[in-house]
Amino acid sequence: MNERDFDLTRRGFIDRVLAASTGIGMATAAPWAMAAAAGVERGDRVRLGVVGTGDRGRALIQNILKTKNCTVAAICDSYAPHLARGRALVPAGTRSFTDYRAMLDARGLDAVVIATPLDMHASQTFMALDAGLHVWCEKAMARTIADCGAMVARARGAHKVLQIGHQRMFHPTYLAARKRAAAGEIGTITQVRASWHRNKSWRRPVAPDATDRQINWRLYRDRSAGLMTELATHQLQVANWFMDALPTRVMGSGSICFWKDGREVYDHVALVFDYPGGRKTIYTSLLNNARYGCEEQIQGSKGTIEPELGRIYSEDPNAVPALQQMQCDVAAGNKRAVPIGGATWFPELPVRTPGTPLGWGEYDETMLQFEGFGEAVRKGRELPGLLKEAYYASVASLLGEQAMDSGRALDWPKDLVAV
Amino acid sequence: MSIETRIERFAAMGTRVEFHVFGPVDDEAIRAARRAVEAVDDSLTIHRPSAATALNEALAAGGSVEIGDPLLLEALALADAAVAATGGLFDPTAGKGAPGRWSALSLDVAASRVTAGGPVAFDFGGFGKGYALDRAVDILRAAGVASALMSAGESSIAVIGAHPLGGGWPLAIPDPGVPGGTLAVIEVEDAALSISATVGAGMLAPNRAATVRPRDGRAIAAARTAIAVEASGALAEAISTALIVADAGEAAALIAAWPGHRHLFDHAVTAAAREDADV
Repeated sequence: MNERDFDLTRRGFIDRVLAASTGIGMATAAPWAMAAAAGVERGDRVRLGVVGTGDRGRALIQNILKTKNCTVAAICDSYAPHLARGRALVPAGTRSFTDYRAMLDARGLDAVVIATPLDMHASQTFMALDAGLHVWCEKAMARTIADCGAMVARARGAHKVLQIGHQRMFHPTYLAARKRAAAGEIGTITQVRASWHRNKSWRRPVAPDATDRQINWRLYRDRSAGLMTELATHQLQVANWFMDALPTRVMGSGSICFWKDGREVYDHVALVFDYPGGRKTIYTSLLNNARYGCEEQIQGSKGTIEPELGRIYSEDPNAVPALQQMQCDVAAGNKRAVPIGGATWFPELPVRTPGTPLGWGEYDETMLQFEGFGEAVRKGRELPGLLKEAYYASVASLLGEQAMDSGRALDWPKDLVAV
Repeated sequence: MSIETRIERFAAMGTRVEFHVFGPVDDEAIRAARRAVEAVDDSLTIHRPSAATALNEALAAGGSVEIGDPLLLEALALADAAVAATGGLFDPTAGKGAPGRWSALSLDVAASRVTAGGPVAFDFGGFGKGYALDRAVDILRAAGVASALMSAGESSIAVIGAHPLGGGWPLAIPDPGVPGGTLAVIEVEDAALSISATVGAGMLAPNRAATVRPRDGRAIAAARTAIAVEASGALAEAISTALIVADAGEAAALIAAWPGHRHLFDHAVTAAAREDADV
């Protein structure tokens, strides 16, 4: 794709985000989206230092480089092969570091982008804030609920922007889905059935110069809550967002039931999150069956939205065959008796209609996250509503882990920090 | 010359609703008619919180209750008239194995108030479908629709005007005892038709309860189909239900009151006659 083509694609994407983020209810449902898509002001690019240049960090770098208002001013990774791969993506002369403290001390940054293992997010955020920098951090926020709250409190106290990577909140399909839900198209939403099912071990090969804890940090309990923080966080954010509420209680069961390879985190989780009014999010994630993949089925009294598939389904039933025949007869000029008069259909039967598309093709919404972050940094004011969504999603994922570990139903914490 | 057609299909009242409108019609009129059906559903349903469930809770021990929902109030007024017209054979008060309780009620429409001497609960069932179709018919007629067929669950039908090719709408009522067979062909025009039965596919509906005779609470065991053609859907539902639970004399009286428009088929008798003919 040449630059002009990219510009057109980018413009089209942002137009779609704008279209999806305007409408009744969207100012409160997705205030960040319109702000992020409102446009980029002229001025110096926001200088970002990216810490963590593994797979995710490199994907972030590629998106940052597409933005109109950000630049990668430095990169950092303590693992040399990852740093080398990161260096290959950025212009020659971009400063690189193996030590995070050294990157902060070298100055010349407006903000840091944290794409390191989960257990490092909080301390690296604190260090950046203490250095006077804004922070963009990958989800989940931190390894503990207390640290998630501390990140919010410290950022607010320092008057710095803290933004967490939840790209679905910038995705035009998700925004369109949220808009249509707000317009009542699927009726009252009473259940979200979310799943992230894969059929692979989630274990990465470890080179001789690395340790398993370094590379497969997601499989170690002190470093990650596994499926909950690395996958479920995204979908629990979506569930809260569409429910327009926070869970009141969570119960769940977790197990290591297939990949018995010494990992410490569950490879199979199943949870129920209660919401006010008896509504529920039912969540499952597993690593040995990919049939149902990744999806959030948002279920209302009048329809269902499946945003990953980009489709909306009406609860409208199939046609009455006799009345279809009547239509054909009338069109053909034939008047025949209509064989009708006894119920033959009941709504309890499965709906097998194919649904209709929510629209809009593929595009990487991560770029827009960074343009929004860049503008937030320039103004010194975070995108509205975003941190609240991220904080509660992280809390939900970590509370889910606690519920599974304890085997008890846990109430939503009452001592969370104000967002 | 092709005839302009508009079809609206949706789930409401626990079943499938279809509007088939022939000739020009505004989209807004169709939407308003659909909303009218959904509004009746929202008010009268007992399968989720509604004005009807709130009333049932309020009257769980009897007492006097003000009705704030205008659709529920109108439905109660129409039901009151239908109970009177059927001599109490139609009675939308609920109670498994219990006699109808309408006679224990007092409805003051002007005061929007219902009073019951003891516990009462309402289950409008098919009557609600007929009432919902009546409201949709009124909206479409007011919008200038001259030819339409509307179905709620295929056992409640309303037609506006004549068939698009002229004359009445010929409806072939299936014979539940004979696959592919027809019980009767009935032509209707500007009318509502209701079919009630104790046999057939309709009885396979999940959680379907047997029709109960209001007088003594007994379930109707006889295999019957009743058809009523009336000016309104609500009345058609009441009459077809009444015919199902009526004894021979009561049924004859109801049929005689509107000859040619009310029909009762006793399938046991029909089957015996068929067997006699086969011999």
